Amino acid sequence: MRYTFRLYIGLIIASLVLLAAGPAAAFLSISAETDRESVEINDSLNLIVTVSGDSASVPEPNLPQMNNFNIYSSGRSQNISIVNGKITTSVAFTYILSPRFIGKQKIPPIPVFDGKEKYVTREIEITVVKAASTAQAPQPQTAQKTRAAAGAQTSLKPEDAIYMTAETDKKAAYPNEQVNLTIRFYTAVSLTSNPQYIPPQFKNLIAEDLPPARNGETVIKGVRYYHTDIKTAIFGIEEGPAAVNPATIIAQVHKESAIDPFDPNFFQKFFSLGAGEGETRQIQSPTASLRILPLPEGAPASFKGSVGNFSLSADISPKEVKTGEALNLSITITGKGNLKTITAPTPPDMPDFKVYNTISSLDISKENDVIGGKKVFTTVLIPRTAGRLTIPKIKFSFFDPEAKAYRELSCGPFEITVGKGDGEEKTFSFTHGGQAAGITPLSSDIRYVSDRAKPPITGTFAGRVSTLPVWINFFPVAAVLLSLWLARLNDFRLKNPMLFRFRKAHGEARADIAGAAEKLKTAQPEEAASILYDSLLAYLSDKSGYKVSGLTMKRARVLLKEKFPQAGEHSLAEITDLWERLEALHFSPAGATPEEGKYLLEKYTALLDLLEKDFKK
Amino acid sequence: MKKTILPLLFALFSAGSAGAYDRSVLAEYNDLYKSGSYQSALEGYKEIAVKEPYNPYAFYNAGNAYFRMNKPGLAILYYGKAFRLDPRDSDIRTNLDFAMRHTGQILVPEGLPKTLHYLYYFFSDLELRAAATSLWWLACLLFSLYTLKSGLRDKLRGTLLASVLALVGALMWITARSSSAFENAAVITAEGSAQLLSGPGETFKAYATLPEARLVKILDDTDDIYYEVGIPREGIKGWIKKTAAEKI
Repeated sequence: MRYTFRLYIGLIIASLVLLAAGPAAAFLSISAETDRESVEINDSLNLIVTVSGDSASVPEPNLPQMNNFNIYSSGRSQNISIVNGKITTSVAFTYILSPRFIGKQKIPPIPVFDGKEKYVTREIEITVVKAASTAQAPQPQTAQKTRAAAGAQTSLKPEDAIYMTAETDKKAAYPNEQVNLTIRFYTAVSLTSNPQYIPPQFKNLIAEDLPPARNGETVIKGVRYYHTDIKTAIFGIEEGPAAVNPATIIAQVHKESAIDPFDPNFFQKFFSLGAGEGETRQIQSPTASLRILPLPEGAPASFKGSVGNFSLSADISPKEVKTGEALNLSITITGKGNLKTITAPTPPDMPDFKVYNTISSLDISKENDVIGGKKVFTTVLIPRTAGRLTIPKIKFSFFDPEAKAYRELSCGPFEITVGKGDGEEKTFSFTHGGQAAGITPLSSDIRYVSDRAKPPITGTFAGRVSTLPVWINFFPVAAVLLSLWLARLNDFRLKNPMLFRFRKAHGEARADIAGAAEKLKTAQPEEAASILYDSLLAYLSDKSGYKVSGLTMKRARVLLKEKFPQAGEHSLAEITDLWERLEALHFSPAGATPEEGKYLLEKYTALLDLLEKDFKK
Repeated sequence: MKKTILPLLFALFSAGSAGAYDRSVLAEYNDLYKSGSYQSALEGYKEIAVKEPYNPYAFYNAGNAYFRMNKPGLAILYYGKAFRLDPRDSDIRTNLDFAMRHTGQILVPEGLPKTLHYLYYFFSDLELRAAATSLWWLACLLFSLYTLKSGLRDKLRGTLLASVLALVGALMWITARSSSAFENAAVITAEGSAQLLSGPGETFKAYATLPEARLVKILDDTDDIYYEVGIPREGIKGWIKKTAAEKI
């Protein structure tokens, strides 16, 4: 027993030690800052969210819903360093925020989730002020034109006063070829606040914002419009039809009439924020269709689906190492195209090196509405042998949609000098702060379908129980009520024993008669007489409410007469007669004959009938 | 009476054996899923779900097929149905959470510890109701015995009290769950988005759009054409067409 107890204690301590010795948590931090604390209502500000960690990849921040700003992703910039196998990564995600309302606006805490824990930034307060300067309305060219335009403005239909268009700069494109989508919001009426933009959903396309939203003015059919252009770069996923579903703008429109197009304050009226009562209008852009073309035949062996225009470079650092020491091979792909989808070039065979897994860093730029940037793939190599070693040529190919041709780039071969090390090959792994390397998440997806054919028994049972008809649940109520009634009855019986004896007396006497009859059948008249005597006394006792031990014939007659005045003299005389006869046989049983026994049995039976009738009168 | 209760009891206690779907048929549908024939697999999963309305895996698999078909609204709808049947299942939780994050929503509300959320949804709605029903029966029968058998009262007192407390606990849990995100909930299944109107009719203004896959609370479904819905996070309510959303 004592040994077992010690064993348990030992196990508990061992478990605690093992838990304490578990891998240290990976480091992750997030911060957010804006490029200014105050912004004009018709301007925008940059929000930079920086996520840093000690792993090859860090999760993207999950921007909360902000009704007070329209948000556009502006790009990302990544720094990654590998020193002695320790990785540190820092990614700056840039967003452009366009305010919707004047006043103090808050950017709520921005969370990032690493699969285990959530980290958040601090809340940021931004002051949104009225536009300091507004564009001047173009001057009318002629008086005649002025009058015509003014007439057109005032007779504008509501659906023409505020509308949206969606256009792509190409109607057909190759997978991963950039197509620019322009969603333009026109309004000829003043708004009480900047409208809320709900981006479209895409079919067979992936999208990248191209901020900032651009504003301008134009005159269409004599009507002067203020317009906002929201640009998005879209990339086809696979061959086939693709579509941009409707985008939505929710705008608060002034209820007052249309603005005079040549009012010098025309532009400012679009931002007459908070003035007057607004009416909510929701406008949708039309659906834009696109065709994704198949890539032509003849792709080189190194082609992995990259489309755009890229350049390739590679670097090795350090160039002189000893056997067992790590060196980094960095392959950089720079250019225009969807760099997110570019995968690492297949490394050449390098039997002289031990090759570890490749990590990548990504910088995205969106200059002049062209998606591009730089992607760096870093692979750690450890030379196995000393001497002059060669890293073979590295090849990368892509499809150039402008030239409609495949291009193959290469760099290398590279030569490095490897000195003789201490004879021991160091093992290498990417680590979190010197601890054993964890799993590097590459992407996320739903879990696979279940092959469990049987539903859980608890669920099925619960389903059936909960769908039972409601009336079934009244049975327990009935049981409770019945038991309460029985308990009450029992209680009453205990409190009123004579009442129940009175009720049961006749039945018990009948049972005694049956018993006596049985005795007579077996030729035991003295036994029968004894049963009948006891039965008569018990019956009279129960009916009169007087205990048997103190009951005399005279008292019985008196009590019965008192209790049942309707009982006839004949009945009482019969009681006396039967009592005397049975008493005589009870005290001298030798005189009992079967004939007499039968006679007394019949007499008692008849007396019971007579008395019961009398008692019920 | 005996004739009514006996088949009911039989149906209840045969729950385990009934409801088992032919494994080879399920494997066939899973093969279709594996080969990318999501529509055909989906039809199979739905067939199982119709035959076995308490089988969470049929709904889960259907949700997976919808997710692969890029229909996040219907995927969340089916994951939601599966979650309501078996909230403890890790695969169902993970995929529901994933699909919700994919559509800008979260399963575990911000600031709520995951463990608490797990406990809150530990039992399914059906299990809670079944537990409350069973405890109701137990408490009533124990009370009957308690009143009838005075000699057993000391022995029964503790058990009776425990069953009554458990019943009260189950009822409180059911009440607490009535405010859960999945109780009286619907998912926007209209492709793209659905319009939130300020009244049940086309004549009323549309003042917001609800994106596909958005979870909403049904406040009233008595109208033939519209649901009155609430969006707790934004604190708004309105009407949407019944064709644009489906009840979980």
